[in-house]
Amino acid sequence: MAAAAPTRAEVMSLFRSLLRTARQFSDYNIREYTCRRAADAFRENRALGDVPAAAAAFAYGKKQLEVAKRQAVVYSLYAPKAKSIMEMKMQ
Amino acid sequence: MALSRRLLPLLRRGGCLSASASPARALSMAAVPADADQEEAVTVKGVRISGRPLYMDMQATTPVDPRVLDAMLPFYLSRYGNPHSRTHLYGWESDAAVEEARARVASLVGADPREIFFTSGATECNNIAVKGVMRFYRDRRRHVITTQTEHKCVLDSCRYLQQEGFEVTYLPVRPDGLVDVAQLADAIRPDTGLVSVMAVNNEIGVVQPLEEIGRICREKGVPFHTDAAQALGKIPIDVNQMGIGLMSLSAHKIYGPKGVGALYLRRRPRIRVEPQMSGGGQERGIRSGTVPTPLVVGFGAACEIAAKEMDYDHRRATTLQKRLLDGIRGQVDDVVINGSMEHRYPGNLNLSFAYVEGESLLMGLKEVAVSSGSACTSASLEPSYVLRALGVEEDMAHTSIRFGIGRFTTEEEVDRATELTVHQVKKLRDMSPLYEMAKAGIDIKSIQWAQH
Repeated sequence: MAAAAPTRAEVMSLFRSLLRTARQFSDYNIREYTCRRAADAFRENRALGDVPAAAAAFAYGKKQLEVAKRQAVVYSLYAPKAKSIMEMKMQ
Repeated sequence: MALSRRLLPLLRRGGCLSASASPARALSMAAVPADADQEEAVTVKGVRISGRPLYMDMQATTPVDPRVLDAMLPFYLSRYGNPHSRTHLYGWESDAAVEEARARVASLVGADPREIFFTSGATECNNIAVKGVMRFYRDRRRHVITTQTEHKCVLDSCRYLQQEGFEVTYLPVRPDGLVDVAQLADAIRPDTGLVSVMAVNNEIGVVQPLEEIGRICREKGVPFHTDAAQALGKIPIDVNQMGIGLMSLSAHKIYGPKGVGALYLRRRPRIRVEPQMSGGGQERGIRSGTVPTPLVVGFGAACEIAAKEMDYDHRRATTLQKRLLDGIRGQVDDVVINGSMEHRYPGNLNLSFAYVEGESLLMGLKEVAVSSGSACTSASLEPSYVLRALGVEEDMAHTSIRFGIGRFTTEEEVDRATELTVHQVKKLRDMSPLYEMAKAGIDIKSIQWAQH
């Protein structure tokens, strides 16, 4: 049985979760990338009218959220003491 | 499917929210203030920097993508079996993972999984390709063709072959870094056993015309080897379209782990190599040694991600490269790009700044992790042989800086790198008497330097 298309509420909830998880990464580059990639992917898939494609994209997004949650924890366990220069005040 | 109005501004801005600090700061775009500045400063080799430098050396290596790490970890934790153990679950699951990874690597280059052999990296692949092919066909084939801009491991392997009595032609390249295909065709002899031309150069980022070279090699019946370590996952590669017979692949250039690579070896027509590693006959006898499951799984995951993200990453790299180049050129003049701009992978930008001394430029750029044209190849101050092959003058070769832009590079990093580079170049040029003279219209080359 084919998966149903996700509702608008589900999509928004997934997007918010991805952004929230992105914020938890201790690494500057990964954090920025996760945010940006999620935003770009959601924007690109916004116009997906095809139900199986939308369902597949949603399922993919959910899987990526699981990966991001796990990795946010792993990265924070091994975060270096010195932060990236990009996160410091402008000299 | 429309998204909530609250989230639309976020989408439009495309930016990220700030760090893991308190929720109250959640929507702020400003950097987190560093109140514990002194503790977090890093002091290495007598130099003190306030934080970890921004990384722009993607050609040297790339950070491991979190999705790759996620795929690898189970194989370090519970699924630690040897893939060659045939008698228990640990071996079976490990083997299944290795085969799945093999299929992923193969699909990224349009090959059959049976044509992929895992090794310890592109250097080992290049050794197997160059030495292995020539030694296997040593009775009938005595000649190798390569270019002057190849990676050291290829050039060194060729030199090794020369000591064994083979002949090697090192083709020159044009000033834009591209090899002359007609010259290559002329150089092929009846006893040529291998043509080796790298796909994307690691120092200057130039993309060689693989289809043309492959076509010529196929017509003349010579195996075509390409070192695609820098090209994999960045430009589309199809081994059949490009007539590639052997290919070296590396994981740590595409956001995978270090210590693993793969050799593509064509089955139809079959290309045979003499194995360089003797042992238990793993990898169909081509490369003995236990296949490192976690690394190979990471490589497979990296390839899968690269296949999905290639277009997105390429577009982004192009935009960021333009931003970097325009930013630097808009503020300083006499900047030369080394290598062709048209046939280039956008994530690699090699610039030379005239009238600036290279080592001092690098010393001043301690907050940006970049590489210079000479450091890559030797510990000495010898200018890079790649730049020399392009015909770049020695003083310009010394001042070359290679900027690497990758998947995780942000606009802010590019802007900061621009700012720091411009600042340092201007500072050095202010101090440089050569620059003063050049600005006054004196031709530096016509000066007769007095000998004391």
